[in-house]
Amino acid sequence: MTAVTGETPLQEAPAAATPAAATTTAATTTVDPPPQDPPLQGSGLLGQPLDSREDPQLLRGEAVYVADIDLPGTAHMAILGSPVAHAKILSIETKAAEQLPGVLKVATAADFTDVMPLPCIWIPGGVESHFPPHPYGLPGARPVLTGDTVRHVGDPIAVVVAETPRQAAAALAAIAVEYEPLPVVTRADAALAEGAPQLHEAVPGNLNAYWTCGDKDRTDAAIAEAEVTVELDLVNQRTINSPIEPRGAVGDYNAATGEYTLYASTQGPHNHRFLLSALVLGIPFNKLRVVAPTVGGSFGTKGYLYPDMPLVLLLSKALGRPVKWVDTRTGLMNSTVQGRDHRQHVVLAGTRDGRITAVRATSYANLGAYPSTIGPGVATALMGRSISGMYDIDAAFCEVYAAFTNTVSLGAQRGSGRAEAAFLMERLVDRYAGEIGMDPAAVRRKNLVPKEKFPYDNGLGWTYDSGDYQLNFDRAMELSQYVEMPARKAEARARGKRLGVGIASYVAICGVGPSTRMSKEGMLGGTWESANIRVHPTGEVTVTVGSASTGQSHGTVFAQVAADELGIDPAQVQVYEGDTQKAPYGQGTYGSRSYSMAAPAIALTARKIKAKLVKAGAVFLGVPEDKVVYEGGKVHEEGNEENAKTFAELAMAMWYGWGLPPEIEPALDETTHFDPPDFNYPFGTHVAVVEIDELTGETEVVAYTAVDDAGNIGNPKIVLGQIEGSILHGLGQALMEHAEYDEDGLLVSRDLNHYALPRAADAPFYTLGKTTTPSPHNPLGAKGAGEIATVPPAAAVVNAVVDALSDLGVLHIDMPVTPEKVWRRLRGESQ
Amino acid sequence: MNGRPERFSAQPNELLVERLRDGLALTGTKVGCDTGQCGSCVVRLDGRSVKSCLILTVAAAGSEVATIEGVTTPGGELTGLQEALRQEHGTQCGFCTPGMVMALGELVDNTAEREAPTEPEIREWLTGNLCRCTGYHSVVRGVQRACSAARGEASAEHADAAVSGQEG
Ligand code: FES
Ligand code: FES
Repeated sequence: MTAVTGETPLQEAPAAATPAAATTTAATTTVDPPPQDPPLQGSGLLGQPLDSREDPQLLRGEAVYVADIDLPGTAHMAILGSPVAHAKILSIETKAAEQLPGVLKVATAADFTDVMPLPCIWIPGGVESHFPPHPYGLPGARPVLTGDTVRHVGDPIAVVVAETPRQAAAALAAIAVEYEPLPVVTRADAALAEGAPQLHEAVPGNLNAYWTCGDKDRTDAAIAEAEVTVELDLVNQRTINSPIEPRGAVGDYNAATGEYTLYASTQGPHNHRFLLSALVLGIPFNKLRVVAPTVGGSFGTKGYLYPDMPLVLLLSKALGRPVKWVDTRTGLMNSTVQGRDHRQHVVLAGTRDGRITAVRATSYANLGAYPSTIGPGVATALMGRSISGMYDIDAAFCEVYAAFTNTVSLGAQRGSGRAEAAFLMERLVDRYAGEIGMDPAAVRRKNLVPKEKFPYDNGLGWTYDSGDYQLNFDRAMELSQYVEMPARKAEARARGKRLGVGIASYVAICGVGPSTRMSKEGMLGGTWESANIRVHPTGEVTVTVGSASTGQSHGTVFAQVAADELGIDPAQVQVYEGDTQKAPYGQGTYGSRSYSMAAPAIALTARKIKAKLVKAGAVFLGVPEDKVVYEGGKVHEEGNEENAKTFAELAMAMWYGWGLPPEIEPALDETTHFDPPDFNYPFGTHVAVVEIDELTGETEVVAYTAVDDAGNIGNPKIVLGQIEGSILHGLGQALMEHAEYDEDGLLVSRDLNHYALPRAADAPFYTLGKTTTPSPHNPLGAKGAGEIATVPPAAAVVNAVVDALSDLGVLHIDMPVTPEKVWRRLRGESQ
Repeated sequence: MNGRPERFSAQPNELLVERLRDGLALTGTKVGCDTGQCGSCVVRLDGRSVKSCLILTVAAAGSEVATIEGVTTPGGELTGLQEALRQEHGTQCGFCTPGMVMALGELVDNTAEREAPTEPEIREWLTGNLCRCTGYHSVVRGVQRACSAARGEASAEHADAAVSGQEG
């Protein structure tokens, strides 16, 4: 039955290898400190579960989300999306709509001929040039409105701006569009077949990219020579991320200054500013300001560029008033990027005694109708380079055919790419264990990358930074009481239930990331992160970061980071982000990068402040610089704590600037752009226990254990919440979520009556543990945390279900594992 | 409306949530779906929690409507439930939060006079509210904390926080 996790909050694993000196930055593995960044001397604040300072405002309903923004004179925009999945547009008649009450403007593609298509900035295969091609030149890019051919249900054709949202929505119905239907294809493999409907003239055969990683010859040879091979055909179904806040955008053009302001539910305001000004609108960079207000969840989807963003800006300019658009849930389902969606053939080779020798995956990835901002990268590199997971495998190869179809564009989804990789690998390991008659846990244990092999080149393009996979795995086995499972199975049987156990381990690439490395991956843009710290004359501190929270309590955690390094009270620190006019450049929140990218930038900036205060301290204290110590929020003379200046005194003195030598500028205002030497690689092991009801086929997750390793954690209270939510998101994919298209390309799961999301009663009891292996790639030893626990649950649950049904000869079952599917299997029907 | 009379005329097809958000600028009540599934829009009508996207404004005429804005004064002290949710970090992006607070308020309010709700009961109570961020665990812990505070089972300090505000 369900229970809360209160009893076992993120227990630290017994840290046998931990040096006694370790405090909150305890390491379970010995990792050399990065040469360029000696470990920071924090005050011990990091690692403390400080309460979120954002929460009170959210709990009072006072936070302002984009739909709550009400600028004077705002007009309201509605978007007409295509009702059909594939058709030529023969004509669009807007006159009737223009006559309706309150309607201010109706616009179609013809009104935006000088606007560039929405760029895709992740080109699978890499971009080596410092001067990459203009991404809007890429074939298949989505126009701001579709003029000639619609390619998915919801493809935007026209917009109405009216005095009220109701008038705008009503006017959509009066726009008459004549379509000539075209054949529809919704599956990637079908789109690549001979004679398939063609989506883009410039993309013959619908193939966006054929992408590979690893060593094909070596892998093929290993498979040919193997003692044992197992194969699976897998469908990683399409899912909809479903943040509870639908997207929205408000455009505000100021004719007097020529400046545009976009308020949008974005997780990357700077990125959106860059893409919109430089690549779509062709307006000066410094004339566009992007503001992210409070954002109601994203999980990947709100980092993408959508037609509504340029549209509200252009229409605001045209009408001389702010223009606001807020999506509906059905609109979101038919326009916001969707996730996963691979059809795969996967092979694993090994020895009779459980040593994995090779893994090979062929995947057909469904990109949808247009390449989204970074969708092609999610479907290729983010998935393919992770497929070998936590295992030390000699030969691995992955190939992805990324295809266009008549569906909503593909994008990121909490755990994107890594979850798909973990699913295929962890299903294969269980299949292999079954084939050789070995315990799945024993097979895994035998193949884990050994501790001494780090940094570990996985042969697929990633080099894992650090880890103690054995410790992590053993902790998961212990916490889940894995050895008790045979007894629990027998006990369940006596109650008429089938009990199954499923393990899934994973490595998630996070900390995107090293800009040069990402260019080799095909990312058209830097992926560093920045922070500014300004110390005010009164001793209060403002931290601004380029990142932008979508619910991760950045205001709390980033203040903690700055306060820790400066040795001051976090209450003195205020954090600002999300407004390109106020914050330094940055790339935003995605791929669980904020804590391992923005927080190091803050810590390094705080160090610059401290270094300056040591220099200035020499003047103020009247001693040589090498006799000045910065400690506990003050400077003092080495060996003489009486000769000291507090942080507040220093702040005021630096503001006045009196008596400073010419080489020390007055004031304290520093910025860092942090571009790490490489990614970081959190990892973990999850164990799901399910019970299947023989009569109904219903699967209940009766126990769930997760042991994750996210390196050094800044605020465990915040991370605990993210882990709990992430697990349920993964369980959602395993058990109920499915973006289902019918053969005409209509999205059947078009609203929350037709698309199941986990509710409170669906969340099982979790037992959570952690191990801590700091990353050497940033000065905090941090690894990604926010979404990593979404990576393994789907694999763990499906493994558990297959385990429960294994005596019936069931080797695999596709997600979502609905009662009907299981019920059919219980009656001997095939998939 | 939150204890104050409001007088206006409404179109027969106007939804209560539209009146609250657009007409009265009470934007704490959120809209997350078109179909009454998400619970972001829950308000209390004569003390009972209802989805304001499923009820016409005219149907609320003559009733007492309580929204999240009426729960506390702006920037004011949190109620016991809000304080408990804060301590358990029962909110992340916060979009579902006002609806949760309004729905759960009804449960917590009545807890002093009856048995404390069991965990399955709390989860059942939450079935009308979707949250994509938290996985609900921290919310459930928050409700348990709030209920035990309301029943005087927690520390004095905690109980103080619980009785300092009023629900709904
Ligand atoms: S907006 Fe009312 S239930 Fe979703
Ligand atoms: S806190 Fe984000 S949806 Fe609940």
